[in-house]
Amino acid sequence: MKKLDISKLDVLSLIRYDACTRCGECTVTCPTGGEAQEDELVTPRGKILRLRELHRAQYGLKAKLFGPKEIPQDQLTELSRRAYECTICGQCKTVCPAHLDTIEMWENMREFLVHNGLGPMPEHDQLIKSIENYDNPWMQPRTQRSRWARRLENDIKVKDALKEKCEVLYFVGCTAAYDPNIKEMALNTARILSKAKVDFGTLGNEEGCCGSTLLRTGLIDNARKMAEKNIEMFERAAPSIIVTSCAGCYKTIRQDYPKMGKVQPKVMHITEMVNELLDSGKLVLDKRMEQKVTFHDPCHLGRHNGLYDEPRRILRHVPGLELVEMERNRSESRCCGAGGGVKTAFPDLAQKISDIRIDDAEKSGADMLTTSCPFCYQSLKTTIEARGSKLKMTDLMELVASACKD
Amino acid sequence: MATDRYLSERATLYVPFFSFIALLCAVILLLPYETVYIRDRTYLSLFLVVIVLSVAVFFLGTLYNFLMWMRGKGLTTTPERRLIGFAKLAIISLAHGRLLRATRTLLKDALYLSKLKERSVSRWFMHLMILGGFILMFILDLIVTFSLDILRYQPMIDETGWAKLWLRDFGFDLVGLMMLIGLIMAAIRRSILKPKIVRTELPDAASILFLLAVVLGGFILEGMGIAGGIPGHDQNVEYSFVGYAFSLVMPASSGDWYDAAWLVHGVMSALLIAYIPFSKLFHMIATPIAIELERLMTDKEGSA
Repeated sequence: MKKLDISKLDVLSLIRYDACTRCGECTVTCPTGGEAQEDELVTPRGKILRLRELHRAQYGLKAKLFGPKEIPQDQLTELSRRAYECTICGQCKTVCPAHLDTIEMWENMREFLVHNGLGPMPEHDQLIKSIENYDNPWMQPRTQRSRWARRLENDIKVKDALKEKCEVLYFVGCTAAYDPNIKEMALNTARILSKAKVDFGTLGNEEGCCGSTLLRTGLIDNARKMAEKNIEMFERAAPSIIVTSCAGCYKTIRQDYPKMGKVQPKVMHITEMVNELLDSGKLVLDKRMEQKVTFHDPCHLGRHNGLYDEPRRILRHVPGLELVEMERNRSESRCCGAGGGVKTAFPDLAQKISDIRIDDAEKSGADMLTTSCPFCYQSLKTTIEARGSKLKMTDLMELVASACKD
Repeated sequence: MATDRYLSERATLYVPFFSFIALLCAVILLLPYETVYIRDRTYLSLFLVVIVLSVAVFFLGTLYNFLMWMRGKGLTTTPERRLIGFAKLAIISLAHGRLLRATRTLLKDALYLSKLKERSVSRWFMHLMILGGFILMFILDLIVTFSLDILRYQPMIDETGWAKLWLRDFGFDLVGLMMLIGLIMAAIRRSILKPKIVRTELPDAASILFLLAVVLGGFILEGMGIAGGIPGHDQNVEYSFVGYAFSLVMPASSGDWYDAAWLVHGVMSALLIAYIPFSKLFHMIATPIAIELERLMTDKEGSA
């Protein structure tokens, strides 16, 4: 008989399973269960009730009195599949009247599934092997990690933080470092930091994957190894600040690393740093852009970290640029569909969710859609192109770099 | 050695726990209940047996759920020992200035349901009526029992005493009415309006129907008492405004069935208590704990 081991479920998660009032507030706003599929089992309430039912069948009072009930394998497989269809966007956390931290619940649920041999999805295997073998999810050699910087003008010097002391360590992240379509994000970030005369450097080829993908898919032990390696690098570089341009890296280093080791430097997202640079006058945005722009809140930046005003303040600094909001914005923002390993395991579902978000952006009347996360950028850009939308996809740092005073 | 430790860890939890239940049951059984409106004391005895058993089942079920939570991640000892550790931590944290904050959290997030109010005023009102009514009913019950059977407080005993009129007669009807309004709203929502987010399964329907039967049964009982002129229901009846309204449509002969109806109402109320740990109603206990524990951990992380 398949015996579920609940020893990987957090005590607080187990309490939360009982604390769910089953009100269903989460079911309609859930991008995967409520909006893209209308499938109760994928919604937060559906997952909570199913997992509760399964572990109660083996650990509940009835199980204690009459013996544990066998759980059919297909039910377990279905639960696992449904759990991995979640983008961990955190919309359910925003709306939950019982204040349940569902983000922690889903990540912990995946850890539990992995522990019981039910996760991650087979589609994640390649990604995970790549991280283990190459330190990045894109099967690219380590020696190519800092190659993006070669495209920088000669006058911009990116220090090697392991060799030269620098104030700010720019943690580039795998996607911006390797993906040819996202490299501009890293280049623009470096240009902005350089323009503001920030003393910055990177870990070069020594930078490892932050481990976000591993954490989001429940592979905590593998993620811990990545975290420990990076934390050791941070100690060697000893900067005052670590800045990231990737929302996923930001969440991981800021929220998850402290659970696995001590991160001494202050961790900032680039939008926070640009705000500081604008406030101090070190960065001036003076080039006019007569356009309407709308901002997509990346889940890892917004709901997971509460950074809603920072990107909007930057956009308001650009002369001529008009910021229009989508109907669902800030904590109510829809997900782009790429997070939580969904794009890898369920690309069609990710596409559906992304489509709904592009609908929102088009309805806002904006000419341009901007965001501050490489995954959201990639996912939304693909959808814009696929449906021939008139929207122009931009990264926020691309906008800032273009609006910078010469 | 290992067996000794195993037993001692369990004894540390179960001896005080069962002593507490035994003490509580003894208090319930030993109270004089001189002012309970019932003519046949056999019914009272039957009710006391059921309530004692129900209270025991409630606490045992709650403890079982607590112990199941303790089986979660990081268990290095027995769930019992871990639970004792958690309890100690909670007491220490409350004693070290967290009591006020915990109370505020309980009132604002778990009772007043501030977040639900932001999302849907009608659902917030419905839930507040049910939960608020339930909790106020429990508090009133404690106050009345304590002042009647232990303090022998005259204004609670005298037919014209302020406490009898306002707390026993008016107070109970008011909180009962709150629950009734909330439950009717919930029943209409689930059975007629059926919004997309509502999912009604047997346990959900059972919880509402159970509560509805208890609350409605209480008013019917009171109506029977007033209509039949049962002692305790024969003066100043207008203070029991809902029961009085029910009595207007009841024949005087319904008073003949008063004792039996009293027992049915009492047994159902007792069973409702026993049902809580095994139903969705357990969220009344789990939700405040989850909220406060999470705040505690967030504060700890923040100060680390």
